[in-house]
Amino acid sequence: MTAGKNPAIAAIDDARALLDTLLTHGWQQLHVVSGDTEIFLARDGGCANPMRVAALPDAVVIPTPQAGPETLVSAPHVATLEQALAAGTQVTVGQTVATVRVLDEQEDIAAPVSGTIVRVDAAPGALLEYGAPLLSIAGLA
Amino acid sequence: MPINRLFVANRGEIALRIVRAAQALNIETVVAVSDADRDSAAARVADRSIVLGPAAAAKSYLDPRLIVHAARESGCDGLHPGYGFLSERAILPRLCAQHGIAFVGPEPDVIDALGDKLRARAMAGAAGVPLVPGSECVASAADARREGDRIGYPVLLKASAGGGGRGMVIAHNGDEAEAGFHKASAEAVAAFGDGTLFMERFVPEARHVEVQLMGDGRGNVLHFGERDCSVQRRYQKLIEEAPCAAMPDHLRRQLHESAVALAASVHYRNAGTAEFLFDVQRQEFYFIEVNARIQVEHPVSEAITGFDLVQEQIRIAGGAGLSVSQQDVEISGHAIECRINAEDAARDFLPSPGRITRWEPPQGQGIRLDSHMSAGAMIPPFYDSMVGKLIVHGRDRADAIARLADAIDNFVVEGVPTTLPLHRAIIAHPDFIENRIHTRWLEQTLLPGYGKKAA
Repeated sequence: MTAGKNPAIAAIDDARALLDTLLTHGWQQLHVVSGDTEIFLARDGGCANPMRVAALPDAVVIPTPQAGPETLVSAPHVATLEQALAAGTQVTVGQTVATVRVLDEQEDIAAPVSGTIVRVDAAPGALLEYGAPLLSIAGLA
Repeated sequence: MPINRLFVANRGEIALRIVRAAQALNIETVVAVSDADRDSAAARVADRSIVLGPAAAAKSYLDPRLIVHAARESGCDGLHPGYGFLSERAILPRLCAQHGIAFVGPEPDVIDALGDKLRARAMAGAAGVPLVPGSECVASAADARREGDRIGYPVLLKASAGGGGRGMVIAHNGDEAEAGFHKASAEAVAAFGDGTLFMERFVPEARHVEVQLMGDGRGNVLHFGERDCSVQRRYQKLIEEAPCAAMPDHLRRQLHESAVALAASVHYRNAGTAEFLFDVQRQEFYFIEVNARIQVEHPVSEAITGFDLVQEQIRIAGGAGLSVSQQDVEISGHAIECRINAEDAARDFLPSPGRITRWEPPQGQGIRLDSHMSAGAMIPPFYDSMVGKLIVHGRDRADAIARLADAIDNFVVEGVPTTLPLHRAIIAHPDFIENRIHTRWLEQTLLPGYGKKAA
């Protein structure tokens, strides 16, 4: 958001701000055209993407990956990491994979998917900021 | 013990202001940010920033546990709450105390007492501060009518837990008092979760004056003169001045004495503001409330006294006494501040967040700008829309108005609409120049014509 900043990062910041706006205002869709940039955001049930009509003939089909997708579990707010399950651990959706602490209260972090923990990104005792990567789970292929 | 590392639990211009004040005192700073403020000016200037949570204030700036956890874990021994957000919530200093962090503000019990308008009124009365004729809490519509008849109409029904004009209703007769009771009570429940109401005499043409206070927590309290904040829209201040040029000296002295007596009676610690209604016709002032924090408009008091109030706040929180005595505080000249919001005044003050594409503020002697904005900066849509405060200091009120007019004319902002053109129109109005304004002047006199002209 600063002058002279990488325009790609600035664009992502803008997109994030727009997405937050859409979610907090309960709108169905949002279409912004600014200079040579155009962004369309919609909820399920929102109207069709007006940009897509023009883009369809050239659309490229992205192949589905063979391996299960990796899901990143990140810190839900600033917190200190107490413990996390080790890489290689098999987990099922809803299972506690990590425990964080805010002041003296502990909070369990649940696995959003079933799979195998493939990476742990933080060490116990570390202060995690909001959105900081905690661990990654490879879903079942 | 002096503070070594200060946690800044706020955003926008005041976060930057606090960081700069701490840096001037050689104190390290850690700034709390939400996801939307990762690249804010305060975050860039501070030694460190910590992302508390997502953009929504309820999950970031308004969560005291997250704030105190981040402060403690980043090794901070002091915490400045700024204004707004949690600045007047006693839970924040209580948590700070539990975790060995010095809170830059009053004791939590004092915040609680002053935050309850009925208790604050009782404290003011006990300290001999003039009160607007009013009631204890009113329990029913019939009570409201009886109290209204006794006080004399028009009367104001106010929420005990209230602020910012919410839960406030004017009644001109007994029927309106009964109807107003139901309306104000419902609004108060919705806004504050507490429907307790009280009533007071409504002064149709009042000025808003307030006294800047600073206490050491041991009963010593200084004042830094008064401010006049009568240019308001929906109880929100737009322009603030210091001193109040409409108040005669003998009343000004009484005003300062009242404010100091009230603060001293509770051994007030750190910065606070006692707010009063000034009934120009009756030449009387009445206590409204105490704001237990630094206020948005503190720079006009700094301009006319030459003291840095935020630095003084930080020193006091670190255990130092007051750095000056009352006779060192001399008032010089006149200062005016305008709050610049990213709002479209011609479209009912529609908030207009977005990206600033051009930002060229005026410079020169007697001009100060407190702002976190720059060309390319983003105004997120999640918080208030203030982009900065333009403050001018002149020899006298007329000189300050002339400087402010020049400063606004030389202020270039593009990318979002701002309230600068409105400020220019206000200070060019004969009523403002001749200082005949009151708290409803803007809405009654200037805005109706302004909207039409702009459209």
